Amino acid sequence: MITFKLNGQTVQGEEGQYIIDVAEQYGVEIPTLCNHKALEPAGMCRICAVEVFDGRRTRFVTSCNYPIWEGMEVKTDTKLVSEGRKLILELLLARCPETPAIRELADKYGVTETRFTKGADTCIICGLCTRVCEKMGARAISLTGRGIDTKVDTAYSLNTEACFACGACAFMCPTGHITLDRIKEHFTTHRAEPIKSEYDVGLQGRKPIYVPYAQAVPNTPVIDRDVCMHFKAGGCRICSEICPVNAIDHSMEDETVELEVGSVILSPGFEPFDPSGLDFYNYDHPNVITSMEMERMLSASGPTGGHLIRLSDHQEPKKIAWLQCVGSRDMNRCDNAYCSSVCCMYAVKEAVIAKEHAGDALDCSIFYMDMRTPGKDFEKFYDNAKNKSGVNFVRSRVHTITPVQGSDELELRYAAENGDIKTDKFDIVVLSIGLQIPPELIAMSRDLGIDLSPGNFCQTTTFDPVATSRQGIFACGAFQGPKDIPQSVIDSSAAASAAAEILADSRNTRTKEKEAVPERNVLGERPRIGIFICRCGTNIAGVVDVPKVVEYAESLPFVEYVDENMFSCSQDTQENMANIIADKELNRIVVAACTPKTHEPLFQETLTDAGLNKYLFEMTNIRNQDSWVHKNNPGLATEKAKDLVRMAVAKVAQMQPLEETELSINQTAMVVGGGIAGMSAAKSLADQGFETHLVERDDHLGGQAVNLHHTAKGEPVAENLAQLISRVTSHDRIKLHLNTGIQNVDGFVGNFKTILTENGKEQEIEHGAAVLATGAQPHTPDEYSYEKDKRIITSLELDEKFRQKDPSLEKINGAAFIQCVGSREPGRMYCSRVCCTHSIENAIELKHKNPDMNVYILYRDIRTYGEKEYLYKQARQEGVIFIRYTLEDKPKVEVKDKSIAITVTDHILNRPVELNVDLLTLATAIVPFADEKLANFFKVPMNEDGFFIERHAKLGPAEFATDGVYLCGMAHYPKPIDESIAQAKAAVSRAVTLLSRTSIFSSGTIAEVDPVFCASCGVCVSICPYNAPSFAEEGRNAGKAQINPALCKGCGLCTASCRSGAIHLKGFDTDQIMSQIFEMNEAV
Amino acid sequence: MADNEPKILSFLCNWCSYGAADLAGVSRMEYPSNIRVIRIPCTGRMSPKFILAGLRQGADAVWVSG
Repeated sequence: MITFKLNGQTVQGEEGQYIIDVAEQYGVEIPTLCNHKALEPAGMCRICAVEVFDGRRTRFVTSCNYPIWEGMEVKTDTKLVSEGRKLILELLLARCPETPAIRELADKYGVTETRFTKGADTCIICGLCTRVCEKMGARAISLTGRGIDTKVDTAYSLNTEACFACGACAFMCPTGHITLDRIKEHFTTHRAEPIKSEYDVGLQGRKPIYVPYAQAVPNTPVIDRDVCMHFKAGGCRICSEICPVNAIDHSMEDETVELEVGSVILSPGFEPFDPSGLDFYNYDHPNVITSMEMERMLSASGPTGGHLIRLSDHQEPKKIAWLQCVGSRDMNRCDNAYCSSVCCMYAVKEAVIAKEHAGDALDCSIFYMDMRTPGKDFEKFYDNAKNKSGVNFVRSRVHTITPVQGSDELELRYAAENGDIKTDKFDIVVLSIGLQIPPELIAMSRDLGIDLSPGNFCQTTTFDPVATSRQGIFACGAFQGPKDIPQSVIDSSAAASAAAEILADSRNTRTKEKEAVPERNVLGERPRIGIFICRCGTNIAGVVDVPKVVEYAESLPFVEYVDENMFSCSQDTQENMANIIADKELNRIVVAACTPKTHEPLFQETLTDAGLNKYLFEMTNIRNQDSWVHKNNPGLATEKAKDLVRMAVAKVAQMQPLEETELSINQTAMVVGGGIAGMSAAKSLADQGFETHLVERDDHLGGQAVNLHHTAKGEPVAENLAQLISRVTSHDRIKLHLNTGIQNVDGFVGNFKTILTENGKEQEIEHGAAVLATGAQPHTPDEYSYEKDKRIITSLELDEKFRQKDPSLEKINGAAFIQCVGSREPGRMYCSRVCCTHSIENAIELKHKNPDMNVYILYRDIRTYGEKEYLYKQARQEGVIFIRYTLEDKPKVEVKDKSIAITVTDHILNRPVELNVDLLTLATAIVPFADEKLANFFKVPMNEDGFFIERHAKLGPAEFATDGVYLCGMAHYPKPIDESIAQAKAAVSRAVTLLSRTSIFSSGTIAEVDPVFCASCGVCVSICPYNAPSFAEEGRNAGKAQINPALCKGCGLCTASCRSGAIHLKGFDTDQIMSQIFEMNEAV
Repeated sequence: MADNEPKILSFLCNWCSYGAADLAGVSRMEYPSNIRVIRIPCTGRMSPKFILAGLRQGADAVWVSG
């Protein structure tokens, strides 16, 4: 340490530091133009000059490069210093009279005019740019010329490839002399443009060191080697010099890691279609954007903060158009013949959000071919978008986007439904781009030896929907076919299940058990609170005065120990913390650091390792909710940190050790429903080693699949079904219960007791988990003269005819299909998902029987999503005639002797046409069994259509909110066989996370009833969304409420609602929250 | 703290609003520091007593978010 005097004050600095650095630490401001922390100082601008008295005489030195020494006396505020700076500023002003940075500084020192001859430069020859260029390792620019000819230039004033256009010089330049334009024009031969943020689809820039996006896992910065100057030119490494924990190692190289695995799951995803090759869309126009760009713009965390703007002039748009099927369903302009499945729904969503954000005045139009919203609850969303939000839906394929001359608008010329040609102008046109597999994945698949589909998606089969053509390799997500989030989540769980089926024997063979530290009994002890305050590098300490908070914390009651850590979460700090807890016999711990949402479990583990109950802990957030959001108010942030620590101390003193109840898990499963989904679930559970009861109401297995002829991929259903049935019936771990109903279900996760009535006989089974796969059935139509004539049948009845090789099919000359019979209309506002594909398959089959047959499909929107689109194309090629009708103008069916006459308004001719056919197939809706009794037994919800409601539409699609109960198949929503099987495997995957354990621990922070105060009013029993409270039936407290720790989620609803104050929420009890509130009076 | 700034006590649900407040920090948004947050497991835990106690302790406003 070197001690010296700065403006009379005694200050200290490290050996080797320069005056300016120490002055900054002590809050003494010294102006500088040419100094930067990352570079060695050069003393070029002279503005930082200060007076140094060495005991004998006073000298005028540049403080940026004058090292400190013991006993020196520095003065920065004398008249002499001020005069000196003024003179320098006058000279600089003469050189650069119009440069704002110089003018500003001159103004500050009261220099308004210069006495010297004015030049017209903007460069002050400080050399910061050339020094940083050298530091980067590029050495592309230097100070050339002598005397008054000195300037910043490249060698021979030529653009050079030595300049990588990294922009460091422009970043450093204090006067704005060096700009990106200058680099482009005079310095570099490379392309000079900002690095675009991939996450924000180029809508804003990013740095070479960046966190890809806020939710990235792991949430640590990465270095982009392609643009990092160290990897380009060998220099820089400023990041590693600055990093306080030496986390950056530029010498790290990619390594080849060899892993021995029993199975591989491929989930490499997709790439969004790039429309820049389609010149008629004019994607290079700023107001033509892709749906991905629109997503970012609508996001509150996006580049515009969720505010909708027209990129050309940043004005709010008044009219927006979405063009569907860009890069999908298109063989002429790109090679993606398939439907990308997700674009209709996201376009509707974007339009609705845009209108929500900008208000009703915003005009949103979606130009589409078929509106494909076949997912669960999607049709209702579409209907609301159209009828409530006022989004315009225009059925038209727009060819060209034409920029309007002299305006920022874009013109669309399109054919309206009636054939009229219309033109309309829009502020923004959004291209709803499709999904495709990038070339590198195609190459990877080739290397792995797995087959791809015609659309380059991973080839799978209907009955093994996540298995690739190579054994042991599974696929999920959009790599397996274009799909949305719920389906991707289902597939990913299914792939995990499929992998676990073949690896069941090795489950837990490489698991290491952690040694448990015995827990210290702290009951009756006076609180001895330990507080650990995190600096988080400079994240907290850069704003909050941590030593002051430490000093304050020491003064709080019951506090025995306070310390600050550079990074509390680092492993060595954790070990140190555990030692301190043990040494100081601390029995309550507070950590003031980042957010408990990410770090509470880590610190709780440290408590456990130190032998302390993990609930004797409180974390308070002085980073995310303090230093980061009040960075311009360090004083107030420090005060807030003190308050937060005080509130945490008050609460932690009230904390008691909590017990986590151990619940045993019965490792048996019950599957309800013996259809494809139920059987697949049972088989997967049994293959993974779990005893499974398969319960079926009928006297046979197979469900609706027994009625199906073949799949969309052409596989025969009967054969595959027979194979599955035989495997299920012969499996020694599957106990089959046919002709069986469910009488009662008791218990909860891990411990269910179910009473079955099998062939009239009662029987109780015990199981830890239940999978509900109760399926659905065809709707019986009450329109289109169904059941009035045997030539009018349903889709399943037609399948039956195919399977029976019904001779009547040979004699048909004309056949028609009517779609959406009972679907997508008031009362049943959902799409039955499978019927379009099903009818098209059958139409093709009829055409194959007799190519001269007239086959008509009367539809509202053809919804052959994904690669099912090929069937639609094939049907059209083979001459199937598609006629669209509307809900308001349904086809009329008249039974005649020789034919069935169907009158429908042709959408092209716009006039009624009469079709005479020998066979009319009604594509009927799929309706669920809606077994309310079963729903009540397991306390699981159903929607208004009678389908079960999953835990989370996107993230929990194969499980219920009720722990230990899972769902799959058509009881969830209509779906084809492959999706049913995938969901069955997904449900099993979720169930196995439970069944593979012998016991689970409930959380400690759960509600508990004090029976003495309980008035047995029943509010808790009726209010709890998880059915945790019930009335005790026997014992001392019979009639009082009790809470099942296995079911309680610790939300506190019962605690807040209990009018007798009998329920306590452990960890968040009234006393504890009140103590925080009481400590606040000093705070706010 | 400036006299004209209301003192706000807030109760944030652990699962949504508390996470959102964290995200505001991650996004480096700025807001006045005259707010003190108490994390609760769910707004279902919220009791009128907490609001009254907060007001009695001198808070000018109580914000419950979840």
